[in-house]
Amino acid sequence: MKLSGIQRQWWMGIMLCLGILVLFPLEFYGKIFERGIGNYLKWQNSARPQLGRVWDKDRQTILAQTKVQSIRSLLDSRQESAEAIDSLKALFENTEPSFPLVLSREKFLDLYYDFPGQWSVRIISPFELISIDSKYNWTRVLLKRFGQWFTISFLDSHNIPVHEVFVATDALKEVQATRTVKQGSLEEVGFEKDRVYSVAVFLPLLQSLDPKTQHAVFPDPRWFLAKDYSITRIGVRELEPSNKTVSSLEFGIEYNTDYYTGVLLIPVSREIANNLLSQIERTNFDIWGEEFSAITVPSVGGNP
Amino acid sequence: MLLGVFVGLGSYFLFSRDLPQLPNDLRKINLSLATEIYSADGERIKVLGQRYPVPLEDISPNFTNAIIAAEDASFYRHKGLDHRALMRALYMNIRERKILQGGSTITQQLSKNLFFSFERNWVRKVKELLISFQLEATFSKEKILEAYCNQIYFGSGAYGVEEASQTYFRKRARDLTILQGALLAGLPNSPNYANPFKNYERSMRRAEHILIRMVKEHLISSEEKNEALSSSLELIRPREDDNPSRYFLNYVLAKLESKYGKEFVHFGGLKVFTTLDTRLQGFAQRSALSHLEALESKMVNGVGKKYLQVGMVSIENQSGAVRVMLGGRSYSNSQFNRAVSNNRLPGSSFKPFVYLTAMEQNGFNPASIVKDEPVAFEIQGSSPWEPKNFSDKYAGDIILKKAMMRSLNSVSAKLIQEVTPEKVIKAARQFGVTSPLGNNLSLALGTSGVSPLEMASAYSTIANLGIYNEPYFVERIEDFKGNPLYENFYHGVQNYAPKSIYPLLNMMQGVIDGGTGRIVRQMGFKHPAGGKTGTTNNFKDSWFDGFTKDFSTSVWVGYDNNEPMIDRHAHGLTGASAAAPIWTLYMEKALQGKNQVKFPIPEGIKFEKVDVFTGTLADSQSTETMNIAVKEETVILPRAIETIPVELDLFEPSTTSGLTNVPSP
Repeated sequence: MKLSGIQRQWWMGIMLCLGILVLFPLEFYGKIFERGIGNYLKWQNSARPQLGRVWDKDRQTILAQTKVQSIRSLLDSRQESAEAIDSLKALFENTEPSFPLVLSREKFLDLYYDFPGQWSVRIISPFELISIDSKYNWTRVLLKRFGQWFTISFLDSHNIPVHEVFVATDALKEVQATRTVKQGSLEEVGFEKDRVYSVAVFLPLLQSLDPKTQHAVFPDPRWFLAKDYSITRIGVRELEPSNKTVSSLEFGIEYNTDYYTGVLLIPVSREIANNLLSQIERTNFDIWGEEFSAITVPSVGGNP
Repeated sequence: MLLGVFVGLGSYFLFSRDLPQLPNDLRKINLSLATEIYSADGERIKVLGQRYPVPLEDISPNFTNAIIAAEDASFYRHKGLDHRALMRALYMNIRERKILQGGSTITQQLSKNLFFSFERNWVRKVKELLISFQLEATFSKEKILEAYCNQIYFGSGAYGVEEASQTYFRKRARDLTILQGALLAGLPNSPNYANPFKNYERSMRRAEHILIRMVKEHLISSEEKNEALSSSLELIRPREDDNPSRYFLNYVLAKLESKYGKEFVHFGGLKVFTTLDTRLQGFAQRSALSHLEALESKMVNGVGKKYLQVGMVSIENQSGAVRVMLGGRSYSNSQFNRAVSNNRLPGSSFKPFVYLTAMEQNGFNPASIVKDEPVAFEIQGSSPWEPKNFSDKYAGDIILKKAMMRSLNSVSAKLIQEVTPEKVIKAARQFGVTSPLGNNLSLALGTSGVSPLEMASAYSTIANLGIYNEPYFVERIEDFKGNPLYENFYHGVQNYAPKSIYPLLNMMQGVIDGGTGRIVRQMGFKHPAGGKTGTTNNFKDSWFDGFTKDFSTSVWVGYDNNEPMIDRHAHGLTGASAAAPIWTLYMEKALQGKNQVKFPIPEGIKFEKVDVFTGTLADSQSTETMNIAVKEETVILPRAIETIPVELDLFEPSTTSGLTNVPSP
């Protein structure tokens, strides 16, 4: 039996009223509307975006912590780089105008006394260091580069510089400053075999030289002894023309450590080198014997 | 029916779009690392973003019952929506044709506070309702109430019930009495209007209203209500928001925010160690207030003329650390920072830069003779500039040091014409003055605005004998674990040779010892010091900038509206009468118990006693003599050798070639 249009509307009206009558107490007593929506939203909560004040705060906290971390990383890496510097000269070379370097007192003194020669002492006298020490409690060193000058600031615990030393950038070009250390044997770092001599030949000659020449061609023996380095051989070579120091010869002092072989490279001014070689020739020809004859004495200089 | 379904679905998609996700734990909303700011003397002067969330067990039921009665009586019965309250609000809003009432439940308020803007519109309201349904479906009533109590605003800067209890009653939230709970419960709805610190009566009326509702809701009995109303509220005195450190603090925060970003400063959990010395800051504020009040009692009464303002900065010379920054006499009254933002004319306190330029560039020295006389300078396209002395009296021939001590305008004007304003500007920049400076002759009389911070920094360079230390405010920043993130390293630059600065320093000592700044000595200040007064036209600004070996301090006094400062006897306030006493009171306290330290005399300096009116070495004919400091190479001749008649009128303004300096004969 088919219902007429009016009957159908009538039935729908009744159903709607019944529905409302049923829903009303369910909503009034059971809060089904709120519960239904609430649970539906809870179910799809994770699919929704993290919007609003509470999440903004969360994001800002994350951003802030990310920034804190990035600053920390930068500072740590700078600190590590500073700690990894292995020579006083490298310390100056690594100081860029916009990035001052901060070093602990211990590290600075290590580098200062570790330099294989008199250059560090010429920059700051050890007596000056003792004098600063007697007056102030310095804990760190700040190295800044400004134009043609380096400033070494000795800082107290409040970062106030208690003493400042100025070093011209030209000081890095001094012959004494260019002493470096390389790993490997003499041959491996570029010395030719026919210009390499045994330490037994070289040391007696060294002892016979005047102190100034000794300092120019050899570090304080403490440098080797304190580190437990044993000297094995000495080499001589011409410096490459690209090196802009005034020296033209380079001595290589090979030594053995417990783990590796290293070479201390000492550029020597031609004048001193010639002086040394002349003395070798004059006083120790019998010791050098044939080996010495292999050395090509430089052709320039007034004292061959 | 179909239409209804479509409308329903459409509405859902409209409202559910951009509906925010809820966090798993409501306690998350109160978790953030607070940034702490410390003074140089170790005081924690500010904590940013600190919250004091407490579990529901630590909140007194006297408060929770009161807040439920006040905000949402059927809180425990509904599921996010209070039908009756909603109907009532709808009726009111339709009747008034605007949104007057929200009918919001506590859950809806929490939803709004956590996720939505405070803008009132229907879409936002429905979204807020949907989220409150989810909150109810996800969390227990206790968790919702706890979260609500911990993040609502109670006025007076207090967020959360624990902080509010401390702010108003200095007690824990768990110890609140019925009356206190009712009073606090009345605040979230109108934190300013019903604030007991601002309007005690109104807040008590609101508390009484809430107590009545509590009785109605059977949360307390009538007797308990009456008992509560007759009990003492134990309201404490409001925390003074007049902390003088606020000027410094806000300045530092703004600087840090611009350098690192706002989120880094507020959410980074940092420890910021500043240069501020709260002890000195307190001295500065007390010194300023006591003198300004004394001055105001003598001033002409009138609209806008009663409230003298002050700007003050004190810098530690050795490092450049800013130890004091007073941006005004009361932070709660005015947050405008006059120490850095209020570029007012420095008047004669700018003259030292002119004198130094003349000595450095044109061979003048403190014994050089200049003629103090009325002058007129031709200005192209304008009427001549005729600077006058403060007293409109002229001394004739006089040595440079005396001219500075007496702050003679005609002499400064002649000097700047001689050296050119460009060179003076260049010199001022070397001293750290950064504000725009006018390239004109009147610059000599301080007609370009500068801040007390700039002046203190510039004078610090004089005290440091030519070393400019950029003023700084933050010593160190650490993260919450104590790892350093930033350290300040001293950066002093020797802009002038010590022997170039010392003669100027000695002249400025003369200003205090017997010049326009002698009030400093008259007030009993005994430390070696140099300085300069500054007073602008019509007494609109008064300055005193000065230094000892340890500190350089700049003080400005004036009205915000640039009105002249005239007292009842028609006398204007000068740098000496308005600013210098504040400087003296402050410096006296700041240096109390410290040794009187003399300025070191650099190599290449000698002292001579000269005749003030001839610039020659003092002799029996001298009527007034003075000690001056000059570079060793400067020759001061005795009077006997002075055989060549000297044309003293060397500053004839109409010519330039004849304006050569005459060093002391």
